[in-house]
Amino acid sequence: MTATATTPRVPADSRGPRASRVGRVTGSPVLRLVVKRLLMAIPIMLGVTVLTFWVLSLIPGNAAQQLLGPEATPEDIALLEQQLGLDKPGVVRYLEWLQGAVTGDLGQSIVSRQPVSEILSQRLPVTGEIVLLAFVVSLVLAIPVALLAAHKPDGVMDRISMVVSTLGLSVANYVLALLLVLVFAVTLGWLPAIGFVPLEDGLWPNLRSMILPSAAIGLPLFCFYTRFLRGDLVDQMQQEEYVTTARAKGVGSWSVLIKHAFRNSSFGLITIVGLNLGALIGGTVIIEQIFALPGIGQMLLQAINTRDFVVVQAAVVIFALVAVLANLIVDLLYAVLDPRIRYGSS
Amino acid sequence: MSKRTATYASGDSGVSEGVIDPVSLGKPSRASAAQPGEPLLVVEDLRVQFTRGGRKINAVNGLSYELTPGSMMAIIGESGSGKSVSSRALMGLLPPTAKITGSVRFEGRELIGMPERDMRALRGGDIAMVFQDPARSLNPTMKIGAQITEAVKLHSDLDKKGAHARAVELLKLVRLPAAERRFHEYPHQLSGGMRQRVMIAIALAGEPRLLIADEATTALDVTTQAQIMELLVELQQRLGMAVIMISHDLGLAASYAQDVVVMYAGRAVEHAPTGTLFANVRMPYTHALLGAIPALDREPHSLFEVTPGQPPDLSALPKGCPFRPRCPNATDKCLDDPPLTEHEPEHWWACWHPVGSGLGNDPGPRAGTGPLDPAVAADDPGLADGPDEAAGPGRHHTPNGEQR
Amino acid sequence: MAVVEPAPSFSLGPEIDQAEAKAGGRGRGRWRNNLGTWIPAGLILFVLVACFLGPTLLSLPSPVGGNILESNQPALSPGHILGTDPNGNDILSRLLNGGRSSLWIAVAVNLIGLAIGGTLGALSGYVGGIADTIIMRLLDVLIAFPSLVLTLAVAQALGPSMTNTIFALAFFSIPAFARVARSAVLRLREMPFMAAAQLSGTTARRMLFKHLAPNIAPQLITFGMLGMGIVIIIEGALSFLGLGIPDPAPSWGNMVATGQLSLSATPMLVVWPSVALLVTVLAFNLLGENLRARWSGR
Ligand SMILES: Nc1ncnc2c1ncn2[C@@H]1O[C@H](COP(=O)(O)OP(=O)(O)OP(=O)(O)O)[C@@H](O)[C@H]1O
Ligand code: SF4
Ligand SMILES: [Mg+2]
Repeated sequence: MTATATTPRVPADSRGPRASRVGRVTGSPVLRLVVKRLLMAIPIMLGVTVLTFWVLSLIPGNAAQQLLGPEATPEDIALLEQQLGLDKPGVVRYLEWLQGAVTGDLGQSIVSRQPVSEILSQRLPVTGEIVLLAFVVSLVLAIPVALLAAHKPDGVMDRISMVVSTLGLSVANYVLALLLVLVFAVTLGWLPAIGFVPLEDGLWPNLRSMILPSAAIGLPLFCFYTRFLRGDLVDQMQQEEYVTTARAKGVGSWSVLIKHAFRNSSFGLITIVGLNLGALIGGTVIIEQIFALPGIGQMLLQAINTRDFVVVQAAVVIFALVAVLANLIVDLLYAVLDPRIRYGSS
Repeated sequence: MSKRTATYASGDSGVSEGVIDPVSLGKPSRASAAQPGEPLLVVEDLRVQFTRGGRKINAVNGLSYELTPGSMMAIIGESGSGKSVSSRALMGLLPPTAKITGSVRFEGRELIGMPERDMRALRGGDIAMVFQDPARSLNPTMKIGAQITEAVKLHSDLDKKGAHARAVELLKLVRLPAAERRFHEYPHQLSGGMRQRVMIAIALAGEPRLLIADEATTALDVTTQAQIMELLVELQQRLGMAVIMISHDLGLAASYAQDVVVMYAGRAVEHAPTGTLFANVRMPYTHALLGAIPALDREPHSLFEVTPGQPPDLSALPKGCPFRPRCPNATDKCLDDPPLTEHEPEHWWACWHPVGSGLGNDPGPRAGTGPLDPAVAADDPGLADGPDEAAGPGRHHTPNGEQR
Repeated sequence: MAVVEPAPSFSLGPEIDQAEAKAGGRGRGRWRNNLGTWIPAGLILFVLVACFLGPTLLSLPSPVGGNILESNQPALSPGHILGTDPNGNDILSRLLNGGRSSLWIAVAVNLIGLAIGGTLGALSGYVGGIADTIIMRLLDVLIAFPSLVLTLAVAQALGPSMTNTIFALAFFSIPAFARVARSAVLRLREMPFMAAAQLSGTTARRMLFKHLAPNIAPQLITFGMLGMGIVIIIEGALSFLGLGIPDPAPSWGNMVATGQLSLSATPMLVVWPSVALLVTVLAFNLLGENLRARWSGR
C-alpha cells in the first residue's frame, strides 16, 4: 500500500469476468465435457479395481479354506481351489474378471455360486432406498433452514442452526444410529430397532424400517448441507456486488436472498452434494450392519469375511462407480444450469 | 401533494412542504416534495462508524453538502476517504455493522433511520446507483433482461408484457446495440462497457431523480469511459435527474460536473462550482491534489498521483483538522476543527489557513517544483490557462452550460 | 503472511472440511475470539490428561481381566464410579484406556499423513509437470476408492491390531494431506513474493523450507485438527466392526459395539463411549475451525 491517492486504472478487459469462477470448464461444450470426464473415469476405475485385487490378495486365506472349514485336508482345499479357479495367478484372475466386467458380467459368487448381478439386484434397492431417503430429506430440510439462518446472520435461527450443525458434524453415524435406536426403538418403542421390510409388504411398514437408518445417515448430512449453504449464502450476501445491485434496485431482503444469492449458491451446493454422494454410500456399510439391512454394505462385510472376492470386487466397483457418476452428473448439471458454462464465457 | 406521472417530466412541480405520503411510496406516480430552488439532497453532519475486530473505523466524519436538482456533482477524494461509504449510507446499503448518524434529507424526507419498507421503495425508485465494477455488479446467473425487468416491476404497475417492453426501451435508451437480442443474454456475454450500460438501464428503471455513479467508469478503458460519461450527461439532461459522480479522476470531474465536493477523511473539505474551484483552490488538500497532476500529462482524464504523506488512520484521527499531519500550512490553530464554511459565494472550504491567504506557514505562491507547487498546475494549460474553460463547453465537451 | 484460502476437501470427510471452510468464511467474527480457541483446546487437553494420566492418577483397576462376579455393577458403586461392564471390568478405566488408543492412532495417522502426504503434495505442486500429474492421478485412485472398504480390507489382510489400524488409516490421510498441501502450494506459487524469491536466485531447498513450508504449515495443521476428529470416528468404526483394536483391549469403537448387544438392558454401556467420542471430536473440530479462521487472516 504505497500510493496514497492513486487507484491503478485497470482496463476492464485485462481483469476478465471473474476468471476464477468462470474458469471451471471455460468454453467447452457439454458433450466434450462428458467425454472428457468419462475418459478420466476409466483410469480411475481401473486403478480402483487393480488396487482391490491387490489388497484382497494380501488377505490370508481364501474362499476354499473358508468354505471347507478348519478341518479340511490340504488336498481337499487344493481341489476346490482348482474348481473355483483360485489356483491361477492373480494377474490372470484379474484379467479374466476385467474381461467379464467390461461386458457387464461381474461373475458369480465364489461362495454361493449365485451370479453377482442377481445378488446386486436384490441388494442395491435396499442401499439405494436408504441413501435416497437420507439424501432427499436432508437436502429438502437443509435449504429452508439455511435460508432462515442466512437471512439474519448471528440471529436466533442462525445460532441454533450453528450449534445443531456443529454437533451433528461431530457425531459418528454409528453412535447416532445407536442413540436413535435407544430413544425411538428401545425407550419409546415407536420404530423397529432392526430389520428390513421390503416394499412389497406395504409402503408404511417399509418406511418404518427405513426411518432410523436413513436418519442416522441423513442427520449429519443435513447439518453439513445446512452449514455449507448458510456459509455460502452469507458470503454471497456480504461480498458479492450483484447483491448490492439488487438491493439498490429496491428488491426486498428475502427476494435478494432467494432469487439472487441462493441462485448463485446453488452451484456450490450441487458440487458439494456430488462430492458427498460417494462418501455417503460408503457410510452405509456400518449402518446396514447395525440395523441388519440386506444392502450392499452388509453384502460387502459378509463377502470379506468369507473371502468371496468376486463379490467384494463388485461392491467396490459399485461404490467407485457411484462416486465417479455423481461427479459426472454434477459437471453436467453445471453445464446445463450455469449460463457461464452453457454459453462458454467470453 | 402533487402526483408525478410516470414520465421524466419536470421534477420540480411539487408544492407541498416535505410531508411524506406513505401511500404514494413505491407507486409509479410519486410525490415530489421539493420546492423549486430547493436542494434535492441535503447531507448534514453525516457520520458512519464501523466496528471491526474491536476497532472503531470512522469512515465518514461529519460530511455535509447540498445537491441542486437536475445537476451533476462530482465527489472526489483519495481512496478510503469515504466516498462510497457515504453514498451507500444514504441509500441504506451499508451492512448492519455500520453505525450511521447525522441527517440526509432527500426532497425534504429524512433518509437516516427511515423504516426499511419505505427505504426500499426509495431505492431504485427515487435514488438509483451504478457501481464501479460492471463485471461483478450484475447477477451472473440471470439474463440481463430479467434483471432489468425485475427493477421495472418493482417500481411500476406494469404487467409482464409491459415490463418487458419497458426494459427493452431502457436498453435502447442507454444505447445498447441490438437491445432485443441482448435482452436474452447473460452478463458474461457482454463487454465491460455494455455491462455498464445495462447497469445504467437498471438504475433508470425506477425513473430516479438522483443517480449516484460510484466510479462508474473506473473499470473501463478510456474510450469506453468517455462514452459512458457522455451517456450519463445526456440522460441527466434528457431526464432531468441529478447525478452524483464519484471519482478519483480530477480531469473527469472537471470535464463533466458542475459542482465538485472534495472529500478527505470522511468529510467535505472544499465544495464549489467546478470553475470556481479550479480557478481558485483554497483548501491545501485540494491544492495538493491539483499539484499532483504531472505537468507533462495533457490527458484530460488524469488520475492524481501521490500526495505526500499517508492517508489518515480512520480509527485514530488526529485532533482538529484531519489533514494537519500532511499540511504545509498547518499551525497550532489547526488543532481546532475547521468548519466547512461558505467563505466566498458558493465556495465552501474547511481550513484555517487557505492557500493564498498568506497565513500560517503558507508562503503564498511559490517558485520551484514539487507536487504541492502551484507552478506545476500553471504549466498545464488545461488547468492554468483557465480552469473555467476546463469545465466549460469549449474544451471538454461539457454540456452543462445551459443547465444552470 | 500469505493469505490462504480454506483448503479443498477429500473423500474422507468432505462434510466437515468443506462445511467448515464455508462456515469459517469471511465476514464473521464469532469463533474468532480467543475463547473460541481456548475452550476447545482446553477440552482437548482435558481429554488427553484424563486418558493418559487418569488411570494412574485415579489408580483405576485394569481395563481387562475383571472379575466376572462383579459384572454389570451400576454407576457410583464402590471402586467403580461408572460401574462395570458384563465382564466385570471398570467402565471408567476402559473408557480412559480406550481413549488412549484412539488418540494414539489419531495422532500417528495424522502425523504420517502430514509427513508423507504433505511432502508429496507440496513437491508435486511445486515441481508441477508430468510428475505432478502422475502423483495426483494415483492419489485420485485412492480417493475414489471407497474409504471404509479399503480400511476394512487392509485391516482384514493384516489382522486387527493398533499398528495395522494406523497403517490402514494412513491410506487416506496421505492423499488427503497431499491434496491440501498441493493446493496450498499452487496458490502460493501465484504470489508475487514467490516469483521474487525465484528471480533472486533462491535455491530450491531454501525455497521449499524457507518460503513454502512456513506458509503451508498453518493450513496443514488446521487440516490435521479436523483430521484428528475424522480418524477418531473412523477408528471407532473399524473397532466397532471388530477390525480395529481387538477385544478384550478397550477402544471407544468396540465399547460401543459390545454395548450395543445389551442396549435395552444397559444403555449406559453405549452412552459413555458415545459421549467421549462426541466431545473429543467436537473439540478437535471446533479448534480446527478456529485455527482456520484465524490463519486465513480475516
Ligand atoms: N464494511 C466495512 N467495514 C469496515 N470498514 C469499512 C467497511 N466498508 C468500508 N470501510 C472502510 O471505510 C473507509 C472508507 O471506504 P470507502 O469505500 O468509502 O472509500 P472510497 O472513498 O470509496 O475509496 P475508493 O476510492 O477506494 O473507492 C475505508 O477505510 C474502508 O476500509
Ligand atoms: S491549514 Fe490547517 S486547517 Fe487548513 S488544511 Fe492545513 S491543517 Fe487543515
Ligand atoms: Mg469507493
